[in-house]
Amino acid sequence: MKNLVAKEFRLASHPTAYLFLGLSTMMLIPNYPLSVTFFYPCLGLFFICLNARENRDIFYTMLLPVKKRELVYARFFMAAVFQLGVVALCVPFLLLRSLYPPVGNVVGLDANLALLGFGLLLMGLFNGCFFPLYYKDPRKVGKPFLVGAAVLFSGIGITEALPHFVPFVRDRLDTALFLFLPEKLLCLFLGAGLYALLTGLACRKSAVSFEKLDLS
Amino acid sequence: MEMLAVKNLKKSYPGFALKEISFSLPEGAIMGFIGRNGAGKTTTLSCLLNLVHPEGGEISFFGLPFAEHEWEIKQQIGFISGGIDYYPRKKLRAITQVTRSFYRDWDEEAYRRCLSLFRLSEDKTPSELSAGMKVKYALTLALSHKARLLLLDEPTSGLDPVSREELLDLFLTLTREKGVTILFSTHITSDLEKCADSITYIREGEVPYSGGLKEFLANYRLLRFPDGISLDAGSQGVIGVKREKEGYSALLEKGAPVPDGAEVQPANLDAIMVHLEANDLFRQEGSR
Repeated sequence: MKNLVAKEFRLASHPTAYLFLGLSTMMLIPNYPLSVTFFYPCLGLFFICLNARENRDIFYTMLLPVKKRELVYARFFMAAVFQLGVVALCVPFLLLRSLYPPVGNVVGLDANLALLGFGLLLMGLFNGCFFPLYYKDPRKVGKPFLVGAAVLFSGIGITEALPHFVPFVRDRLDTALFLFLPEKLLCLFLGAGLYALLTGLACRKSAVSFEKLDLS
Repeated sequence: MEMLAVKNLKKSYPGFALKEISFSLPEGAIMGFIGRNGAGKTTTLSCLLNLVHPEGGEISFFGLPFAEHEWEIKQQIGFISGGIDYYPRKKLRAITQVTRSFYRDWDEEAYRRCLSLFRLSEDKTPSELSAGMKVKYALTLALSHKARLLLLDEPTSGLDPVSREELLDLFLTLTREKGVTILFSTHITSDLEKCADSITYIREGEVPYSGGLKEFLANYRLLRFPDGISLDAGSQGVIGVKREKEGYSALLEKGAPVPDGAEVQPANLDAIMVHLEANDLFRQEGSR
């Protein structure tokens, strides 16, 4: 499994996935729908899967001494590294954003830990839609991505609308970085838990589909 | 020892089915796997490596069932499908570095020897290699992890005659001097006559023959006869009457009487395959 993960990064990964890690700097943009940031690691995964198809990665990997479902596990591991990497890299930029005006975000959620919780949930939703569809037939990457992106952008719309309609979100979660920390931490942990659950279920379902697939 | 044993392998698709394919491959031999396009060669090879799920039958390598010993078996086999066609823009060095990490018995010295023997540069990418060099790189990877069995899917198609001859020489050296066993799928049957010990002939998803090449060739002779001689596929022991540029040709089964006016020649694999397939066509047309 260690070798397969190394193969994912050395051969299958796409440069855009690394570049998109740098988009965690979007946390610095004032008055912007910041949850859009979490779309980019998902777009990076789309490029990785597309790149893998063009390079016949599955064929190459299947000839190596590995089990078929391990290919799926390695790809999910890489996905998690890029997605959690963006979340982790957002933290210093959240701190930096709190140091200069304007305070708050008139568009949607402020740059804070609750936003990261929502971001994790959004990426979990993407994983839950994209990967099980993709592993039904890895030759078709476009349709699974369209479905995943549609769900993700719907989630982004809802996330950014919440502070305007839900008083708890407006008063507690859509506030400056260090205010109402317990509520924001709870939101972050809930987001992380749901991300783990959705991604884990997607991984299991994808592995089962991929195992049944004829690679002819 | 049987390096590969396939028993009653079944797989069906709409419009095509592998029908209980069986054959076995002894150690140190080269077996040709022949049949026309669409006969089921690639599907069979794909089933062997679990790329395609068989619907029935048993596959074992080195006496071990594939399903339970996939990792162990894959350590000892090399599958080469017309050279490498994966990661065409990555340098060979990068592909090798990743590939070697998967093999328990990777032999770096053997790898360097093969690179030098085949004049391969690690700084090149697969897209920069000729068709023959791609096959050689794929062979280099297989030989460097000490593969005991090579499964080759049309490795010589698209190669010029000199490159094909080079590869065939290499296959002979590998089997005769290194004890490697080779299953060699091809529709260029002349290649097999130069190197194969046995053949498995697949036709419309069935295996009508699997055994020694010499024995297979000895079963038939080629008949040539001019226009005007009355002869059809119903004549005793005559198979696959086919129009030629001048006159007709057909196969004559071993022991069958030679028709009057016909010239008899030894039959090669190409001629046998062509006439057997022509016979099928004749039967199909006759049944309509």
